[in-house]
Amino acid sequence: MSNLAQFDSDFYQSNFTIDNQEHSGDDSNAYGNLYGSRKQQAGEQPQPASFVPSEMLMSPGYAGQFFQPASNSDYYSQSPYLDSFDEEPPLLEELGIHFDHIWQKTWTVLNPMKPADGSIMNETDLTGPIVFCVALGATLLLAGKVQFGYVYGMSAIGCLVIHALLNLMSSSGVSYGCVASVLDYCLLPMVILSGCAMFFSLQGTFGTVSSLVIVGWCSLSASKIFTAALHMEGQQLLVAYPCALLYGLFALLTIL
Amino acid sequence: DWEVQYQQDTPVAPRFDVNAPDLYIPAMAFITYVLVAGLALGTQDRFSPDLLGLQASSALAWLTLEVVAILLSLYLVTVNTDLTTIDLVAFLGYKYVGMIGGVLMGLLFGKIGYYLVLGWCCVAIFVFMIRTLRLKILAEAAAEGVPVRGARNQLRMYLTMAVAAAQPLLMYWLTFHLVR
Repeated sequence: MSNLAQFDSDFYQSNFTIDNQEHSGDDSNAYGNLYGSRKQQAGEQPQPASFVPSEMLMSPGYAGQFFQPASNSDYYSQSPYLDSFDEEPPLLEELGIHFDHIWQKTWTVLNPMKPADGSIMNETDLTGPIVFCVALGATLLLAGKVQFGYVYGMSAIGCLVIHALLNLMSSSGVSYGCVASVLDYCLLPMVILSGCAMFFSLQGTFGTVSSLVIVGWCSLSASKIFTAALHMEGQQLLVAYPCALLYGLFALLTIL
Repeated sequence: DWEVQYQQDTPVAPRFDVNAPDLYIPAMAFITYVLVAGLALGTQDRFSPDLLGLQASSALAWLTLEVVAILLSLYLVTVNTDLTTIDLVAFLGYKYVGMIGGVLMGLLFGKIGYYLVLGWCCVAIFVFMIRTLRLKILAEAAAEGVPVRGARNQLRMYLTMAVAAAQPLLMYWLTFHLVR
């Protein structure tokens, strides 16, 4: 968070001198300073372009990506000033797709016993969720059921209902994108279940038991992330039950 | 003691008072009912995903009809109660819990289990509705603890009994086609 404070203070600085620029250029080890200096570059008059590329190419960029949307939008609007091809950020960075975060969230879902970090849900990332929804539809297709429409429809309505419920239950509200992101990430075990449905029919006892286990796994992960992100102590079961109902609907689609 | 506790004229939140009506149980019970109905139809090979939407819509329609009918009859009987529409929706939603129990027992143990559990839940919801509505509709009579014989109170008593008796009927109507 100190990086963000420096961000703001540097951006609103009216008397921008060469001294400040060089000073922030010296400690280029800090990620925030990196982006801070680049923002200074973009926010003020067109500074000598030679100063920028060396820092750009050295960008490791993981922690700095937390502030990605703001710096990207500013950077994009200032592109006429820096129009060399080498200075553009990588495409994935510009689009806001971070594979590290996607992996981190996926491991959080796949490991329900690991305590969740509440801050990872601050960014609304819908790339992974859409991939998982399409994967669920694809595995259902391979099992012989063309039910893409039902998957998307139930996903959307379920997200809407759980968004309303969480806004009522928690002291701090949630945005719809955050809810959709979490719920669809936790759809991953359901994709595994429908993958199994391709190879053997799930109508018997084994199918029922495995689907119950998978539904429990999904809803446990989802409620764990929600209670961590929204600071709702002691209400994990209350949040887990509606999630279990939603995933139960998906399980119905998969089994029957 | 079935009274709702008040705190400076507003009802206490359900977290602190067992008797306060909450909408979490009815909402979850409604969705669970739709899910269990889908499951029951699936075990009889009559399932398709659009049937879920059909079940949900028909159960919602019955609920709306009930709420409108009760509000209309309360209006006609000119009862001044503090029974809000949301409270009514909450009370009427509690019967879905019994319906779920009945259908699940019917899936596990056949018709005998279904009738046993449904019978028990019908009696339970009947008693619950009588006691809760009595406090709301027959407020003055309940305060005294003795049913006062008067034309107005008698009409209110009949209304309460009718509402309470409609619950088991609806519970049976909405679940019997799911258990074969």
